[in-house]
Amino acid sequence: MSDESIARLLCDDNHVEEAVRLIMKKYGEPLYWHIRRMVVAHDDAEDCLQETMINVYKYRSTYSNEYPLSSWLYKIATNESLKLLKNRSGFTMSVDDLGDSLKDSVREEASPDADETLILLQEAIALLPAKQKMVFNLRYYDDKSYEEIHQIVGDSVNTLKTNYHYAVQKIKDYILEHQL
Amino acid sequence: MKDFDLEGLSREMPYKMPEHFLDDMTERVVAQIGKQRKQHKERRIVALFASAASVAAVALLFLHPFGGGLDIPDYDSISQCTSVDELFQNMTADELGVYSMMSNYYGN
Repeated sequence: MSDESIARLLCDDNHVEEAVRLIMKKYGEPLYWHIRRMVVAHDDAEDCLQETMINVYKYRSTYSNEYPLSSWLYKIATNESLKLLKNRSGFTMSVDDLGDSLKDSVREEASPDADETLILLQEAIALLPAKQKMVFNLRYYDDKSYEEIHQIVGDSVNTLKTNYHYAVQKIKDYILEHQL
Repeated sequence: MKDFDLEGLSREMPYKMPEHFLDDMTERVVAQIGKQRKQHKERRIVALFASAASVAAVALLFLHPFGGGLDIPDYDSISQCTSVDELFQNMTADELGVYSMMSNYYGN
């Protein structure tokens, strides 16, 4: 079913639940992985995804078909992930200070048979500042265009390109430094 | 300088998503939304009844549908009240004492 049809169902009180099921079927998995790459732990990703879907229901009237449905969903999921990280960092630290603890979680959460380079890649991503992390993940894993990332994150395309460039450089440096 | 080919790397994640996770999550979310919708409907019904009750109460006060309404005395009944002199005559010594104290206090 097209995003336009799903969005129409979402705004129709009699079909909200059907719309939520369709969104979960089409976007549940990419949203889960988008959140998981941000928060690392499965339990946190679970809470964030649930809250994301509840917010989709709560704020459905604010959706404008000016933007694609997927960008709106990713925006809500991104905000929920940042909210969780902000709560975790408390008043004295910023989200960007959580890098080391997120990096430690990567190894704890990784499957026993996971490829070492993939673990190193996730560690490097965990150490990135939140903005660079968001841009890198959306571009590298979700194949989003800079225009779509702009709809989700809000920064200008040039700023996003700069963020991506710095993220790639830091990731490469980290992997080269830690690879056996 | 050594370089690392990020593009050549697998997009796979080193984590696993638990089996049936998304199906369970869908059911949980739909159940929670259903609960919220029910609560919202109940709140609207309560608000509707409350508004209806308020309107009925106001109507009872001003429209006197049962012929009763507020017992507001008219001018004639007020004029039949005991005169002020009569009131003073009926006061006890203690009441007069309190009255004179109050009058002095308020400078009357």
